[in-house]
Amino acid sequence: MLKFIIRRLILSIPVLLGVSILSFLIISAAPGNFLDVFRLDPSISRETVQRLEREFGFDKDPFTQYLTWLFQVVKGNWGYSFQFKQPVFNLIWQRLGATLLLSLTTLVFSWAIGIPLGIYAALKQYSFKDQLSSVIAFLGLSIPSFFFSLLFLYFASRTRLFPIGGMLSVNSSQMNTWELIVDYLWHVIGPAVTLGFSGLAGIMRQMRGQFLDQLHMDYVEFAKAKGMPRKVVFYKHALRNAINPLITIFGYSLSGLLGGAVLTETVFGWPGMGRLVIQALTAQDLYLVMASLMVSSLMLIIGNLAADILLALVDPRIRYRFH
Amino acid sequence: MDKQKKNTKENTKENLTVDQVGESFEVEFLPRRVLLWRSFKKHKLGILSMWILAFFYLIVIFADFLSPMSPYKQNASIGFAAPSKIYWKHKGEWIGPYIFPLETARDPITYQRSFYETSELRMVKGVGTNGSPFVYTLGENNVTALVAQVKIDEIGVGATGEGLFKTTTKDWNMVRIEKEGIFKEPLVNVSVEKDTLDLYRSNPRYVKTLQQIGDLAQIKTVESLQKISVKYADGKTESISLIALEEYDFKVYPIKWFVRSWEYKLFGFIPSNLHLFGVDSPAVLYLFGGDNYGRDIYTRILFGGRTSLSVGLIGILITFTIGLFLGGISGYYGGWADEILMRLTEILISIPTLYLLISLRAILPPDLPSTTTYLMVVVILSFIGWPGMSRVIRGMVLSLKQKEFVEAAKAMGYPSLRIIWRHIIPNTATYIIVAASLSIPGYILGEAGLSFLGFGIREPQSSWGLMLAQAQDLVALRNYTWLLLPGLFLFIAILAFNLFGDALRDAFDPRSLGH
Repeated sequence: MLKFIIRRLILSIPVLLGVSILSFLIISAAPGNFLDVFRLDPSISRETVQRLEREFGFDKDPFTQYLTWLFQVVKGNWGYSFQFKQPVFNLIWQRLGATLLLSLTTLVFSWAIGIPLGIYAALKQYSFKDQLSSVIAFLGLSIPSFFFSLLFLYFASRTRLFPIGGMLSVNSSQMNTWELIVDYLWHVIGPAVTLGFSGLAGIMRQMRGQFLDQLHMDYVEFAKAKGMPRKVVFYKHALRNAINPLITIFGYSLSGLLGGAVLTETVFGWPGMGRLVIQALTAQDLYLVMASLMVSSLMLIIGNLAADILLALVDPRIRYRFH
Repeated sequence: MDKQKKNTKENTKENLTVDQVGESFEVEFLPRRVLLWRSFKKHKLGILSMWILAFFYLIVIFADFLSPMSPYKQNASIGFAAPSKIYWKHKGEWIGPYIFPLETARDPITYQRSFYETSELRMVKGVGTNGSPFVYTLGENNVTALVAQVKIDEIGVGATGEGLFKTTTKDWNMVRIEKEGIFKEPLVNVSVEKDTLDLYRSNPRYVKTLQQIGDLAQIKTVESLQKISVKYADGKTESISLIALEEYDFKVYPIKWFVRSWEYKLFGFIPSNLHLFGVDSPAVLYLFGGDNYGRDIYTRILFGGRTSLSVGLIGILITFTIGLFLGGISGYYGGWADEILMRLTEILISIPTLYLLISLRAILPPDLPSTTTYLMVVVILSFIGWPGMSRVIRGMVLSLKQKEFVEAAKAMGYPSLRIIWRHIIPNTATYIIVAASLSIPGYILGEAGLSFLGFGIREPQSSWGLMLAQAQDLVALRNYTWLLLPGLFLFIAILAFNLFGDALRDAFDPRSLGH
């Protein structure tokens, strides 16, 4: 198992390097040198600009520039955001938390509801409730997340049942831990529901399909014929086999959430990475763009890695393939 | 489930009736497309979606003809106007659909805008001060306008009585529909705003009046009709003082069919100015309401649909061309080309889609002309899409490469490219068609998301995502719900594409064809 994980880790290094080259190409291709903004800004001294020029090697050829940049990134110097007037590393670190928190909540929401619903729908196949949930799932898969978010915001602003944006209330600094958690949950309902709904629908449909496939297998028929209790047949044998393919989806849904959160974060004013990227791009704050591209790709790769490891854990065939 | 299907099939083969013989004969010998169409027709939702999509594309192609006004025409004074109220009956008589022009009023305290309907006087009939009766009708005897002259008295009401503050006269070219009562008897508007009261209390002009009436409690406004001025085509004006108005009528603005108004080019090259319906100015017909510049949302949804719905088709076309070419080559030849391509796709797939989308957009200069922006959006979307497609095609080509018919083609000495294009790629056709219809929603959503964030299509061009961006303002969202309508269209289009693709996939499944 350890061998498998190490192998996967090593394989992801060239991908990360590739992503870094691509981000660097994007930055180099963007119009203008991003130090131009520093030069024009009177609040930044000439010495600072020269120091940055040296640090990032702008007097050298692109290849050396890339290596210098990579070296700086590995050292932890991710550049300086002129828009927020602080190092990019700190900025991303602050925002990453909010995005991860939102993604995790959404993940819990969609899986905790999607899996049981899928199982239920499969067991009651062709019943009214099954068909109803299929319809809702199809609607959920088709509704654009940002349109759904706007609908939710409209609902929230009309009824005042939910806050209309942000992650915590204004007076959150005076709250104790429990109040903070409740306040967070109250704020996260909107973004998590609108972001996670399509995921929920997908998981439900997958779970239903996989479970149904298993229920029609011969071994299930046999177990039933043998007189094994229904509960044991369904939940111990069929369910375990049905859940395997869903684990692959798990990793991809984690990475999908990171990407899709840009729109939801913008609509709900969630202080996460997505909004940071938008702000960085509108202000041409390119160090920030580059770093967030890298970090978001890293998250995606970690998500896929987690999916692979999980799959290897539950499915011995995959583990042995690498031995 | 599939098991059951198979079982029933086997049963039918054992005891065949005449009908079933026919069926198995058809499965064997009917052309493939007939079979496909047959099994597709079984999906009612798929058929419905197909019609919905056909309808969408049709209205989008004829957007100019169907629009009562140009998508760029602004009516800033009535921005965020609600959908027009359409009337059918006038004075108890059914005369077909008509509307009234709108004007805005701003609440002096809350700055909240409100709209009211106005219209011109069309006909007045009454008795003048000289005792002679009169009738004037718009358009008859060279009458071009009937203007109501209204006296507005502001009267202070105090503890000990009432006193007149000031009198003004106003000419109403357009009469507020709600104020039509003024033609029968004076209209009393009572206003009691505290700020206004204080203003009057401190005004030295009204000291005398204020002393007479004691402490000022409220101010009422009395509007009464004084005269009607009749304007003629030759520029003359006649003013009539009147004793009583017996009858009057407002001009209505009927919704006319097949009108000639703003110019456009049908299909981009046939100049025309014919439109399905429209109203005369100054009335503006808002079927779905107006946006912040007073542009018609209905029109902009039609024109936005052009962008949103075409992006999917063109994007998929580009993606598939690249995907087929690269996937085909790397799957067929293998080796270092395959290796490089697969590593490249791995990298591209590892960057979250939307991050990559907006970063790519950032490379391009922000102030491109609108057509270039549109092309750029399509190209960027295809750039995001091709890695996944190439990988799938490569996998299919890899497995097809082993098949006998490819071996046979090789043995006959055909060149490799011919084998790829004429033998292998056609065998992936069903997959490609299904994948295309299922991945179009991704392109539509990508464009909508980009435009929503301000990185895609720009004003004054229109797209469903861009239109939704206006609803991001919470105040606008709360008060002008119709701003969400483009989202509904987006939703329906995506739902239809998903259902359509699903039905196609089921229909193309070999099992459903009876093979």
